[in-house]
Amino acid sequence: MLIFRGGAVARHDLSPSELQAHVEKWYRWSDELARQGRRNAGTALDNPGAAVRGHERVVTDGPYAESKDLVTGSMIFEAASLDDAIDVARTCPTYEFGGSVEVRPVQDPRI
Amino acid sequence: MTLVDERPAAVSSTELVEDLFRKEYAHLVSALTRVVGPSNVPLAEDVVNDALVSAMHAWRFGLPQDPKAWIIRAAHNRAIDIIRREQRHRSFLPELATTTALTGTIEAALAPAAESVSQLAMMFAVCDPGLNRETHMTLILRWLCGLSPKEIGQAFLVDTQTIDRRLHRGRGRLRQLGRLPDVDDLPDIGARRDSVLRSLYLLFNEGYHGSNPDDPVRPFLCEDALRLTELLLDAKATAHPDVHALAALFCFDAARLSTRLDEHGVFVPLVDQDRSRWDRARIERGLMHLARSATGDHMSRWHLEAGIACEHVIAPSIQKTDWDRIIGFYQVLAQQSWSPIVALNRALAVAERDGIDAGRRELIALAGEPKLSRYPFYWAARADLERRADCHTAAREYYEQAIVLARSPAERVSFERRIESLEIS
Repeated sequence: MLIFRGGAVARHDLSPSELQAHVEKWYRWSDELARQGRRNAGTALDNPGAAVRGHERVVTDGPYAESKDLVTGSMIFEAASLDDAIDVARTCPTYEFGGSVEVRPVQDPRI
Repeated sequence: MTLVDERPAAVSSTELVEDLFRKEYAHLVSALTRVVGPSNVPLAEDVVNDALVSAMHAWRFGLPQDPKAWIIRAAHNRAIDIIRREQRHRSFLPELATTTALTGTIEAALAPAAESVSQLAMMFAVCDPGLNRETHMTLILRWLCGLSPKEIGQAFLVDTQTIDRRLHRGRGRLRQLGRLPDVDDLPDIGARRDSVLRSLYLLFNEGYHGSNPDDPVRPFLCEDALRLTELLLDAKATAHPDVHALAALFCFDAARLSTRLDEHGVFVPLVDQDRSRWDRARIERGLMHLARSATGDHMSRWHLEAGIACEHVIAPSIQKTDWDRIIGFYQVLAQQSWSPIVALNRALAVAERDGIDAGRRELIALAGEPKLSRYPFYWAARADLERRADCHTAAREYYEQAIVLARSPAERVSFERRIESLEIS
């Protein structure tokens, strides 16, 4: 799983054409992964949200992190290894505007 | 808030409409300004920017079925949120007072049916006689083309602070209007229309032969100029034979856009352009506009320039061009408003009709014009005629003069190539 943090959404100074050019890079990227046979499912998260915490189930407003660390979405795809998944993460367009990607294997509950 | 989002159906292998974000920015800022009033332009800008950011965010893994409708809905929701929140601090128009009225008003304002009405209102409001030409252009680029201050500055080689100052002046002027008037209600529609047409002409030229040396041809600005010009034909108050003439001029020139630079980004002279690659559909559209421009009782500058551009695009070659007609148009143009550039172009037409020597005489007669002595294409024109008269040494000297004055690599390399084609022993 790739977990996307920050990036263009944390910036407030992008012009309409910069925004369009950036989103085009993203969906072309996920299309390209699919073309390579890496079936993928991406999820974009919206703001604001809420957090529920503790015994008392206290609800607080989101966002909970600084905008550069805010989780903005995730994507699950099949990879041969962690290195393979890192190679995919390297090709993500998010770095153009300072985003970061966390790469985590999803555990398989089957025996 | 929807927790389970109607997930954008990932439409693979479709693409967004070119410049959708810029066009929707222009559409929605104009539409919202009509609702919240010109004193709240910044609020409209914020709403639209938020809507575009959320589109960028939500569409990363696939496009919605109808991207335009998606953006409009996002702007609609955001506008209602912000107007409700701001209601206590600002005075909005009365139709925004209650929730039902607010929703209905925003819905109607953002509907595609109102698109041209609001953009026309915005265009005519910013071309205010109290603002100068540079400010008209800047405001059109910002609010009707959706360019950021930085992008406008890059297009015109002006620093961003200057652009911000012009935007500030424009906002101040707009604030004095209580409402964005519909074009049908403008008392000074004629004067404003002239300013609008002049600004659109400059916008087109900036795309056709712009001031940025690294990027002298930017077709998107030409497209915007044509789009906005044709918008004027949607309303009775702004449709006018002059508008058709300007649209015709843009169509004829835009038809040649793809052949003006070669694959290395170097200017290609008219004589070497591949006429089979000129855009036939554009030329047809230009001819339609030209026919409709002929209904008035006067010949504007745009009529004359469109007439000249038309002769060029319908001719099968330089030799078969109707130079007589072109010289006739230049003659009238010179009578209406003489300029050294008009005289230069006339001289070149004379060279084609009456021979190289006649053209050379006219060009030499213009040598004292200060504007032309700094204009690279004047020297290139003189060089071209010397070359054709087999005076290659003089041709070389003039091309070198053109190279010194060249404003972009696209111009410079074009002149250098012509030197290479000379035969000098």
